[in-house]
Amino acid sequence: MNYELICGLETHVELSTKTKIFCSCSTEFGGEPNTHCCPICIGLPGTLPKLNKAVVEYAVMAGLATNCEISPVSKMDRKNYVYPDLPKAYQISQYDMPLCKSGWVGLSNGRRIRLNRIHIEEDAGKLVHDRGNTFVDYNRGGVPLIEIVTEPDLRSIEEVQEYVEKLQMILRYIGVSDCKMQEGSLRCDVNVSVRPVGQEEFGTRAEIKNMNSLAYMAKAIAYEFDRQVDLIQSGEEVVQETRRFDEGSGCTEGMRGKEDADDYRYFREPDLVAILVSDEMRKSIQKQMPEDPQKRLTRFVSDFDLPEADARLLIEHRRIADYFETAAKGAKNPRAVANCILGQMFARLGTEAEKEQFEVAVTPEQLHELILLLDSGKIRMNLVKSTLEKMLDTGKPAKEFLSEQDLAGMSADDLKAVCEKAVAENEAAAADYLAGKEKALKAILGSVMKATRGRANPQEAEKLLADIIRR
Amino acid sequence: MVTHEEILKIARLAKLSVAPEELDSLTKDMNSIIEFADAVNSVAAEDSDFDNSNSLSNVFREDKVVPSYDREEILKNAPNQEDGYFLVRRRM
Repeated sequence: MNYELICGLETHVELSTKTKIFCSCSTEFGGEPNTHCCPICIGLPGTLPKLNKAVVEYAVMAGLATNCEISPVSKMDRKNYVYPDLPKAYQISQYDMPLCKSGWVGLSNGRRIRLNRIHIEEDAGKLVHDRGNTFVDYNRGGVPLIEIVTEPDLRSIEEVQEYVEKLQMILRYIGVSDCKMQEGSLRCDVNVSVRPVGQEEFGTRAEIKNMNSLAYMAKAIAYEFDRQVDLIQSGEEVVQETRRFDEGSGCTEGMRGKEDADDYRYFREPDLVAILVSDEMRKSIQKQMPEDPQKRLTRFVSDFDLPEADARLLIEHRRIADYFETAAKGAKNPRAVANCILGQMFARLGTEAEKEQFEVAVTPEQLHELILLLDSGKIRMNLVKSTLEKMLDTGKPAKEFLSEQDLAGMSADDLKAVCEKAVAENEAAAADYLAGKEKALKAILGSVMKATRGRANPQEAEKLLADIIRR
Repeated sequence: MVTHEEILKIARLAKLSVAPEELDSLTKDMNSIIEFADAVNSVAAEDSDFDNSNSLSNVFREDKVVPSYDREEILKNAPNQEDGYFLVRRRM
């Protein structure tokens, strides 16, 4: 019998606000342990949480960017559990009245992955286990999170990966999170179940906690799929439980027994008042948001005549998309602008982080001027490339590297003269060409290009050379 | 009515140990707390009253960093600490 994979994701995303959700401590990553702490975020008795306005705004932006309804009324709740990463023994989260509901994220195969909700909550501290002891650092405790919960709509590992990448792109784009999986600012819990193909009813699910790499996620889901299918085929039952992925073995393993099933005894957080998002507030937040990346992608393809794959690469980081748009606006060759960015500029940016920052010595205005020279036929693409290379090295404008001769272009007479000369100097190659060796012409063309320092139009020159030789 | 089993379950969730001789009095206390809550619930407000139940909403703080406490202060009341971390006996 064939089985179908069913996945649902709970994605925790750290918001890039300056301060924590309930106190004014910094959210910066990587400080010395317990140096971004105060009595509120280490949960001392008698302290009171104060909600950060930017957290509500960022979460509403995330909701709007993923087609959610924004709840006019929501509230915070206490989720109770005892563990050293949580100094108050409860996490302030949202239970039955989340800030955002009923959204969706579209995939390239046309399917919409429905979002059940997005809610805000505080992150827990970081634990380091060593020699029977646990070392606790509360710098991360109280960092704001949004939790984005999908319906069980994902049907393959590829869909799961695309969904996460899409989410990263959207959230980075609107600037609410850097979504760095390796630094833990985006983590996923994956619910996995299987069912025979054609069956309506869902199987029992297992939840794999805290995945912080797409590659491990793929492995964990593949392992879990096989494990559950094996169980069912050998007549056993899948147990609803929380499982952990072991990176070393590539397996998932149960984390705790059934008797310790979650019982969080949620109740309304009495220290915080209701959150009301009026139409006015929602609209003013919407105004602060940049253009939806999906719409921008479509626009780049239609307005700038870009191949979709190229547009996708430009869109991925907002700074690059903005840079492209400034440089390409009003140019006749927007594709050349895209090629300059994706080719020569990307070659200088090794990591994704460097692309995200996109610090290049050439301003988009300088690139625009260079491309205008191409548009007007004054220079050719090879000269654009070599000039851009010098501009990237020095940060100086194109004019510095182009002589008057470069910019003068070539008259038909000049080109003809150069070609005549080249044929005369390459008699042997010309004879070979006449004898049927097509390639021989390329050698002569090479000397024409060299003599004109790349200013000649190679197609014209080639045609001219052939005419001269046959004459 | 709250049972002994429920008291033991709540204690287990809170990682508290309850001696057998404490069980009766704890159960009695818990029952009187629940009774009090029931009294409050009997005059419960409509759900729609929720957002103005205390006439306060949207009490926000601006997103501006204030220097954190010195680590020495933060760790002062910790029973155990090492290398700037709180130290606890490993569990689970």
